[in-house]
Amino acid sequence: MSLMSKKPSLIDVDIHPVANRTRMLDFLAEPWRTRVARGNTGPSSLGYWNPNGVNRPDAITEDGQRVEANPQALAKHLFDLYDLEYGIFNPGGSLHAGLSPEPDFSAALVGAINDVFIHDWLPVDPRFRTSLVISPGDPNLAVEQIHKYGDHPGVVQVLMPSGSVFPYGHRYYHPIYEAAVAHDLPLAIHPGSEGNGVSGKSTSAGYAGGYFEWHTSLASNYIAHLVSLIAEGVFVKFPTMKFVLIEGGVSWVPSMLWRLDKNWKSLRMTVPWLDRPPSEFVADHIRLTTQPIEEPEDPAHLHAILDMFPVERMLMFSTDFPHWDGDTPDFSMRLLPKKLHSRVMSENARELYKLPVVEHA
Amino acid sequence: MPKTTTEQRFAVASVEELPLGARKIVEINNRSIGVFNVNGQYVAVLNLCPHELAPVCKGRVSGTTAVSMPGQYNWGQEGEILYCPWHGWEFNLLTGDCLTDKRRLFHYPVEVEDGTVYLLWKGKT
Repeated sequence: MSLMSKKPSLIDVDIHPVANRTRMLDFLAEPWRTRVARGNTGPSSLGYWNPNGVNRPDAITEDGQRVEANPQALAKHLFDLYDLEYGIFNPGGSLHAGLSPEPDFSAALVGAINDVFIHDWLPVDPRFRTSLVISPGDPNLAVEQIHKYGDHPGVVQVLMPSGSVFPYGHRYYHPIYEAAVAHDLPLAIHPGSEGNGVSGKSTSAGYAGGYFEWHTSLASNYIAHLVSLIAEGVFVKFPTMKFVLIEGGVSWVPSMLWRLDKNWKSLRMTVPWLDRPPSEFVADHIRLTTQPIEEPEDPAHLHAILDMFPVERMLMFSTDFPHWDGDTPDFSMRLLPKKLHSRVMSENARELYKLPVVEHA
Repeated sequence: MPKTTTEQRFAVASVEELPLGARKIVEINNRSIGVFNVNGQYVAVLNLCPHELAPVCKGRVSGTTAVSMPGQYNWGQEGEILYCPWHGWEFNLLTGDCLTDKRRLFHYPVEVEDGTVYLLWKGKT
């Protein structure tokens, strides 16, 4: 990052390439190879309908290939186009598997997805990094996967579906956290699987009646996960752990911080491991991603909210490419106040994922 | 180079190229512009979504659901609605209005003469 350069570096922390199904078969042991080859990949979505499709219809190459299906195409049509310094993959279509009631199968399936990205994608471009997908359905198998790949230089975090059986503070998941921390990897959750497989219902209140209702309500599950992580003392038990709330919204955070702190003043004796206001744990351990950034009529209202909590430490830029609700870098920078550009567009991610500065010629 | 205010006319398509429901994306004065045949009416639209600057003219053209009572879906405006390929914002191709936001499509005037669709460019180039 040159001092002369006015444009901040860009690190995109939420990109969705898709592993080739046929290639996954090369990494699957039997009987899972036969199962997937014959088309059974476990639980799918609830089928909520987005009339425009979840993937952007225009994200195709000149010869008609989907951009997210090919590493060279992704490098050209996303990384080159926006001059990304790094991008973090959260493999598309990988989250439903984590909510299968069949623990051996789901661990094998996400393992094959990881194999494809580590063998076929990371070597293609030095800007590529990936999350390691795990299936929380059997924490012991998830731990095995983390130990298998946790020290790979291209693996920068451990990814779980935000749909879940328990909220993520629950001690059922702590072996996963212990393993991730041992490899100095942050944990992250990503939406899309709420209501699938063995997950809780598609919103905290019950089943949403459509895509619009479900997608808008995603923040409700994120709120429950955040409060659970704090209340159950995860960050007391694992003091170096960071937890990334990907694509779960930004503007709801300050009101939840106030609610946490207010209740802590009355109910601290029920959570005696919280030796300081919960909002301080959030600032130290939780990270958020920008997309889909809220768009109030008056951008000053968003700026006011961003002044209410330490976004200069917590917030990281993301495109969500190639999904329908993505944000481009230029759009995000127009919405965010200039004073935040450097921290949000690259530096918070650089610190969290330990990404070295790339000197441009 | 000083900019000049001019009126120019560009042939953008033959009527044979633009049957009902068809579109053609052309480049004029360094602008990408979509020309559509909307139920027999030709419209020319700047290929830039006013939301996040997507190539809006690459979106699908369809009908949409009219405002209705809960549980009712009244399909209409077939062929008149352009859905942005990025976020799915709905635009009325005939008026340029967005169905959900104040921001609008930018229209260019068009005229048809002797089987050719012309775009009229007024203003700076």
